[in-house]
Amino acid sequence: MLASVLSATLHGIDGRVIRVEVDVAPGLPGFSIVGLADASLQEARERVRGAIRNSGLVFPPRRITVNLAPADLRKTGASLDAAIAVGILLGSEQARANGAWALIGELSLGGELRRVPGILSMVLALARRGVARVVVPAESAAEAGLVDRIEIHPAADLAGALGAIRSGRAARPRVNPARVDLVGPSAGSSSREGPTSAAGPLVDAPDLEEVRGQAVARRALEIALAGGHALLLVGPPGSGKTLLARTIPGLLPPLDPADALTTTAIRSAAGEGPILELDTRRPFRAPHHTISYAGMVGGGPVLAPGEVTRAHQGVLFLDELPEFGRDVLEALRQPIEEGRVAIVRVGRSLILPARFQLIAAMNPCPCGGALGIEAACRCRTGVPERYAGRVSGPLRDRIDLWVEMPRVPPGSLVGETTGEASAPVALRIAALRQFQMERRGSLNGGLSGSRLRLACQLGARERSRVVNLAEGLDLSARGVERLLRAARTIADLDAAERVGLAHLDEAGRFRALGVRSPLQIAV
Amino acid sequence: MLLMTVEGLGPITFYRLLAAHRSASAVLELARSEAGRGQLLRLVGSSAGTDRTPARRPLQIVDGLGAVARDRGAIVDWLESLGLRWLTLDDPDYPARLRLLEVPPPVLFLRGAPDALLATSSIAVVGTRRPTDGGRRTAARIADALARLGSTIVSGLAVGIDGVAHGAAVEAGGRTVAVLGSGHERLFPHAHRRLSERIVATGGALVSELPPAALPTRGTFPRRNRVISGLADATIVVEAAARSGALITAAWALEQGRECFAVPGSIDAPTSVGCLAYLREYPGQVRIVAGIAELIEDLGLTGRAPSRDRPANEHPSSLAPRPAPAAVLATLGRAEAAVAAALLDGSATVDDLARASDLSVATVLGTLTVLELRGLVTGGGGRYRLDGALVAAGPEQRATVASSRQPVLP
Repeated sequence: MLASVLSATLHGIDGRVIRVEVDVAPGLPGFSIVGLADASLQEARERVRGAIRNSGLVFPPRRITVNLAPADLRKTGASLDAAIAVGILLGSEQARANGAWALIGELSLGGELRRVPGILSMVLALARRGVARVVVPAESAAEAGLVDRIEIHPAADLAGALGAIRSGRAARPRVNPARVDLVGPSAGSSSREGPTSAAGPLVDAPDLEEVRGQAVARRALEIALAGGHALLLVGPPGSGKTLLARTIPGLLPPLDPADALTTTAIRSAAGEGPILELDTRRPFRAPHHTISYAGMVGGGPVLAPGEVTRAHQGVLFLDELPEFGRDVLEALRQPIEEGRVAIVRVGRSLILPARFQLIAAMNPCPCGGALGIEAACRCRTGVPERYAGRVSGPLRDRIDLWVEMPRVPPGSLVGETTGEASAPVALRIAALRQFQMERRGSLNGGLSGSRLRLACQLGARERSRVVNLAEGLDLSARGVERLLRAARTIADLDAAERVGLAHLDEAGRFRALGVRSPLQIAV
Repeated sequence: MLLMTVEGLGPITFYRLLAAHRSASAVLELARSEAGRGQLLRLVGSSAGTDRTPARRPLQIVDGLGAVARDRGAIVDWLESLGLRWLTLDDPDYPARLRLLEVPPPVLFLRGAPDALLATSSIAVVGTRRPTDGGRRTAARIADALARLGSTIVSGLAVGIDGVAHGAAVEAGGRTVAVLGSGHERLFPHAHRRLSERIVATGGALVSELPPAALPTRGTFPRRNRVISGLADATIVVEAAARSGALITAAWALEQGRECFAVPGSIDAPTSVGCLAYLREYPGQVRIVAGIAELIEDLGLTGRAPSRDRPANEHPSSLAPRPAPAAVLATLGRAEAAVAAALLDGSATVDDLARASDLSVATVLGTLTVLELRGLVTGGGGRYRLDGALVAAGPEQRATVASSRQPVLP
């Protein structure tokens, strides 16, 4: 007999609805899965067989064919296990379903229903298809519950799933909002309050006032975060680069719910979890410099999202920039320009969102001694230049703001705090970002061409200053655009309608280092 | 001249060849024939082994000689296409000071004005590649003062003191000669490419005894130093650490019987160790720089009107005497003057400048850009210092700023 159940798989960060058709026919006992199923799905046969037997049911000694539609889509992962098992049980008339159902989840040999990456995206895809009811692993109930307009039926095991589809109602159907009772049936209802905001003290980040001295870098960071500009901090070890970068989560405004759903889906697809609520914090990703190409852009056998995607709508912080692999750094060019990344593999390609803001830090030279109080670099002649040269020209050209952070003299380290705290800076950044979105439909970091020129409203004097700066600082055409973008944000911080001379001059300072021959140490 | 474009052929071997065969063309003629090659090989080989020359070197040299003998015309074309002149020992323009050396460079490859080498007064200013702020200013003031008196400033185009000395001489409207430690095609360091253009544009010269394609190596710099001291009447070492290359120049100066001066420094400063050691070791030979006026007196340049040795119409653009730092400071706007004043004591970070000038960080950043565009400030490593026309300015100019400017508004 033929049975048909819906399920879903993960494709990049998107869910794809899969129809699982099971034919249980007379003939020699056998079990085959067709429909571009990869190796991990072929293994589902063994899991399903064990799960059915160990749930006190009978694995039918018939000829079983499972077809996964659409047939042209390559399917991977274990999310179809539950649907296949239920299809077999329906096909062998050991179970009955009340209406149309979708099931998502991996089965253990003992019949438990396990969590899989990307539940959120898969449930979203089912809801968009108009599916009314879905069974999900109990662990993922909260995550699935983030989706509107679909009934969520959590089940701890195969028996629970069968119970749900037979009765048409789960023991506790969960419909959004599902933020109560997060852990599972046994935990009971907790007293958790509504959604938590990310801008407040909940963020686990050092406060900006802990950063001593470094007024220039703090200023640059505020400009960068307010306008969405790429920023590079250059300084010796101990100058506070990493500390400064770690304050970023406390400075970024929270995401609105629609954007938060995207980043939460990305986190889910990347296998982070369990996901208990809509995460409105902007991602702050700081991968180590030993990261591989696939780790950065995404890929691997299941085309998992990489760091550039996981930093979508947030910040990608690369500490020790020149230590990253050259191909890894070159791979950043496309996402920085286009806000998305294309992953192409044999027979498959995928476009993932990757609109992140790049913040990078590096030592001035391998020994880290340059930029000290007195020149104390012990590197041999030419070594610092070669070190800086590992960051290629095209990538440098994409960095709007360059800041040198000299080592802070010991006196200021123990002195009273001089800098501003995070909270007021975060407020300014949030207000300025909102202003830009309302006024120009994009952050200044995303402006270019005529829109940028329109936004700057340069007068005649300003125009000629741009020419001077371009000549004096040896800026390329792209460099001039970066200068204007930074100047626009500086003017916004100043609440100025037009970009003025002072704004251009200050922006020029943040560009100057980027164009000087690699990094001048002592001339 | 052609002989010296052969890689690996140094002056010692050159003179040996010349002594044996009387003229360079005779040597080249010999290199054309097989028998002659054998003869040359023996001659060249006799110097190998004694001075750690690799065994393959003589063969290389003789092969090179053969190649040069065949392509004389091509080599001349190549040199001319690079804009180079060459001065051989028998050229009337060959600097007389250099001819006095025990082993003068057989040929000098030169870019710029040959008469820069013939100035009646020529002083070398050298020092460490990692100077302190104070050393930088001292070098700038010395070069500035001497250049204004019409002396040619000779140095090695290295980063640090050398670069400052060249830069200050150019800014003062004077002439300066850079002796390269590499061939002209391989100008080193790269960071000084722009400076080298300015040196040539202002009537100075870049010279090298190495063929244009020669790479800078460990050995070429000490060799270059003997030309620096040899081109100068006196050598002034501004700052030198214990084993600084500038000390080699000083040693050459003493050996060549030229005057040698060292700027003393604190006995605790690592950048003064070399200078102090020479002052102690060669009393009476290495003299002390006690001040700018005293130095001018010791050099016997007192009473010289600030004048120039060259015809007045040669480089009209650079001939006008440059305004002194005080005059430049007086032309600055309020914020610029405040920032420049804060830099008179030496280099500073933006944080320091904001504190000292009472301006906001944003204003200081913009002001630095304005000053940098005017060439008055340069920065690196997050620290900024005065440059260009202000390179020789020091705390004594503070009065100028104070008297000519209103207090900066908050």
